[in-house]
Amino acid sequence: MTAGPLVVEDATIGYGRVAISEGLSVDIPEGEFTVILGPNACGKSTLLKALARMLKPSAGRVLLDGKDIHSQPTRAVARRLGLLPQSPIAPDGITVADLVARGRYPHQGILKQWSAEDERVVAEAMAATDISELASRGVDELSGGQRQRVWIAMVLAQQTPLLLLDEPTTFLDITHQIEVLDLCAKLHREGRTLVAVLHDLNQAARYATHLIAMRDGEVVAEGAPADIVTADTVQQVFDLPCRIIDDPETGTPLVIPKALASARI
Amino acid sequence: MSTLTSGSTVLRLGGNSIRLRHRTIAAILGALAVLVAVALWSAATGSTALGLDRTWAALLGQGTKGDEFILWDLRLPRLATGLAVGACMGLSGALFQNLTRNALGSPDILGLTQGATSGALVAIILTDATLQLTAGFAALGALATGLVIWALTRGGDPSGYRLVLVGIGVAAILAGVNGYLLTRTTIVDAFRAVYWLTGDLSGRDWGQARTVAIVLGAGLIVVALLSRGLDALRLGEASATGLGVHVTGTRVTALVTASVLTAGAVAVAGPLAFVALAAPHIAARLTGSTRSFMLSAIIGALIVTGADMIAVVGVGDRQLPTGVVTGVVGGLYLVWLLIAQRKKGVMS
Repeated sequence: MTAGPLVVEDATIGYGRVAISEGLSVDIPEGEFTVILGPNACGKSTLLKALARMLKPSAGRVLLDGKDIHSQPTRAVARRLGLLPQSPIAPDGITVADLVARGRYPHQGILKQWSAEDERVVAEAMAATDISELASRGVDELSGGQRQRVWIAMVLAQQTPLLLLDEPTTFLDITHQIEVLDLCAKLHREGRTLVAVLHDLNQAARYATHLIAMRDGEVVAEGAPADIVTADTVQQVFDLPCRIIDDPETGTPLVIPKALASARI
Repeated sequence: MSTLTSGSTVLRLGGNSIRLRHRTIAAILGALAVLVAVALWSAATGSTALGLDRTWAALLGQGTKGDEFILWDLRLPRLATGLAVGACMGLSGALFQNLTRNALGSPDILGLTQGATSGALVAIILTDATLQLTAGFAALGALATGLVIWALTRGGDPSGYRLVLVGIGVAAILAGVNGYLLTRTTIVDAFRAVYWLTGDLSGRDWGQARTVAIVLGAGLIVVALLSRGLDALRLGEASATGLGVHVTGTRVTALVTASVLTAGAVAVAGPLAFVALAAPHIAARLTGSTRSFMLSAIIGALIVTGADMIAVVGVGDRQLPTGVVTGVVGGLYLVWLLIAQRKKGVMS
């Protein structure tokens, strides 16, 4: 098996002296929509931060295109790898067009502040996320779903083949969660490699083409949703007794938690 | 012009391009015009009112010997020092507010001013406290404080709340140290110390103006190189990292630059209160969501020059120390800011 564009190699990752994962190895396959999931504090966001070079492993390495990600110039990495963090901050009063334009940062310089290419790519990113009409609106006037699409547009304007998304659906209502995930699926179909941390097991099973299930800082199961979403794995990862049925809409696995005998009336 | 770049003009030359935001350019030009007017007016006023005609003549070398002495040896050095000191403070305030992402992030709150004061007090107590020695010690005090803050925040990044909290702690300790130092002085030294603590521009010469101007020039160059990264940092550390900003390097360089700017300004003029706090706020109000470090520097120069002019005219027939005026004006501004923010329902 050839190694993917983003590889974690025997890494110890954590905050300060607290290691969340030790000896972790993960291979992100090219061209897939990978979703990392697991219970709270299982290390899924920590893994994403390591992939995004926000955390440097205290042992082991993270490889981007076969080379240590921390030995590559960070601007060069930013042209390969885009990141939508969990809670990005929109500066007060900034307009949608201005915020999306920030995604051009790794392609710009002091004397390259706005090229024709910048203009074209930002317009495309806004069209792809369906926010072109919002261009001159203030980001703080938008709904949660619109705002999330603006942030995704900013990352798209970065023009990277790899996209990392840290819980892109948290804080959104169900309609906007689906909207964001549909957008992710579209980006994946267009040829990008996506890695997202998600909370919802059923959404992960429906949208991901590759799943990484984690618990206590370790990868418990990895593979296509149809192969690994089984009652056994769900029990193993989440301690949740459940039945698996076929999603009537998509045929992907659908997790139905069991009702406890004591909860039955 | 497309909707994407509305409110700005893009200049292209070969592969290069510069994007000029109309509102920012208008604010900078407007502030510069007011600054020139205030500077001229300030040169023309004082205990000997030269008036604009005689000031202009003396400026062009066509005035009387007396007028030229007043202008070139007394007023212009003071004016130049005030301009450079104000610009340094405005710039350092803008850097600290960017670093802390906090409206109150300024060298006054973070302890750098107190550190400079400790240095000056040591000079006043231990040496014959010439202006140069006091300035040198004050600069060392501010730089040492910047270093301590940097060392204490090094575990994580020197960012946000951590920087504010460490700074407030350092400021409190230094305030105690300063109180102790004051009790160890003679009454004459204590008076000199209190005068220094107020901050003043009287009797400044070309040498001092040049020193601060060099610090300012260096600061402006570093900030010009850092400003794109600092701007990206306003989206949060994670986004900035994703965009390819060297987060820690940018932050540390900004912290060092802001400390040097504060050290240079406070060393020469004393801790002129609130300039570093108010200037970036006023600048931000003028430019909206875009931030301009340049504008903050110009506003800082404007506040100090304007305040110094009021100080020279004084109350009754007495001149005031410049710091008294910036303190009163800046304090009023701060109170207004807090009330306005509470009305808006935000405390950032």
